[in-house]
Amino acid sequence: MRVVVDQDLCGTSGQCVLTLPGTFRQRTPDGVVEVCGGPIPQALHAAVRLAANQCPVAAIRVIESEAGDDDAERHATGHQRNGRHDGTV
Amino acid sequence: MDVKEVTAECRDAFAELASPAWIHDPYPFMRWLREHDPVHRAASGRFLLSRHADIYWALKATGDAFRGPSLEELARYFPHAAASLSLNLLASTLAMKDPPTHTRLRRLISRHFTMLQIDNLRPSISRIVAARLDCMAQALERGETVDLHREFALALPMLVFAEMFGMPQNDMFNLGAGIGAILEGLSPHASDPQLAAADAASAKVRVYFGGLIQLKRVAPCHDIVSMLVGAHDDDADTLSDAELVSMLWGMLLGGFATTAATIDHAVLAMLAYPEQRHWLQADAIGVKAFVEEVLRYDAPAMFSSVPRIAQHDIELGGVVIPKNSDVRVLIASGNRDPDAFADPDRFDPARFYGTSPGLSTDGKIMLSFGHGIHFCLGAQLARVQLAESLPRIQARFPTLALAEQPTREPSAFLRTFRALPVRLQTFGV
Repeated sequence: MRVVVDQDLCGTSGQCVLTLPGTFRQRTPDGVVEVCGGPIPQALHAAVRLAANQCPVAAIRVIESEAGDDDAERHATGHQRNGRHDGTV
Repeated sequence: MDVKEVTAECRDAFAELASPAWIHDPYPFMRWLREHDPVHRAASGRFLLSRHADIYWALKATGDAFRGPSLEELARYFPHAAASLSLNLLASTLAMKDPPTHTRLRRLISRHFTMLQIDNLRPSISRIVAARLDCMAQALERGETVDLHREFALALPMLVFAEMFGMPQNDMFNLGAGIGAILEGLSPHASDPQLAAADAASAKVRVYFGGLIQLKRVAPCHDIVSMLVGAHDDDADTLSDAELVSMLWGMLLGGFATTAATIDHAVLAMLAYPEQRHWLQADAIGVKAFVEEVLRYDAPAMFSSVPRIAQHDIELGGVVIPKNSDVRVLIASGNRDPDAFADPDRFDPARFYGTSPGLSTDGKIMLSFGHGIHFCLGAQLARVQLAESLPRIQARFPTLALAEQPTREPSAFLRTFRALPVRLQTFGV
């Protein structure tokens, strides 16, 4: 599983950071959320789905498929190339 | 009062909510609305949504299916808008803006409200809580009655804001005294005298902030006002003069009365449901559960004071909301909707035990901080103030009791207090 944050959409409420402080963090200058690491460990999958579901502005996208990890990677990179910021660090 | 009698045909739920008849317990009326008129159209043409699912949807759809009011619409919905300073200030606040302006303004301020920043404030909040309780303890231990609302619930957020704004405490108390009047001036049913009182208080706030802005320009510190002044001076396109003052004014409006009312509601819940006090003696997860349940059980803002304007015709529950209608959401009713929270009139912190903040064990959102792009900027600040206060009040005054019934502030849309007189039981009858 991977997770991306649409930083254009992020409302800076920080609810995901409260739910999963090890997975999400807020940028210092403007409170916009970043994803801390790469793939999400199995144990956190349910919590990540919850955080995505709970985000007030639906800015968190969970990419579920194991087999599709490569696709997801390409997708995220594509977003960046298009001038969007997916927040993956 | 008999719900059926009042509401056999409810022409205006807003007028009904403002009625003194419901001041102590508006929930039977809200239940009636949910069951009989969940997409209520008031005589004024304004809509009021009262079911959890509809409110949740409308909050999420804000910025999309709904937008903030234009200046012309403000003039229509608030006939005195052109002449009223309060309404002019309101028009420039974050809550009234749509993306991209909303995004630009919110991001300027959100650095001061990140989870990390609020966590850094915890020691100061804790210190302020301890000092205020010390003050109260002296009088209580002498057997006196103390107004917990004024001495603690309202004082705490004011002192916290004084620190965040880099303002002398007394200045904040002086400004804070006018906040209640301003809030009522913004109600859809505000009378001319109420609006005049709001404008007088807003004028004082504006003059004060004008001076403070000059001061911070000359001698900036690490506070919110200095940072915003810096952003404005760097680039007035990033933050205009009007936006700067409105932003500060808006934070005072959003931050005091609501936090104070929730502390008051929490203390009342401790006294009314002693069997639930154990949550406050437990770990942080237990305290969090109690705090969230207080927020759910009594939302300090019954409905949103911010108009949400329908971008197109919207059909909801068989009712068509025409394009350009002003739609409000009755948050306090959504929080008591049995379709979202089982047995909703029971005070039960277990619903929020071990969950993410604001989420029940059934996965339902507690609506008091709103949702969507206008999600309360100060939510975590309020939560930390509550979490730092309640266990200490419980530990320090285990025999706390009501000295008199609390006095509620008569209000069209807030559930706030004028006084909450308490004493220690060992000294009373």
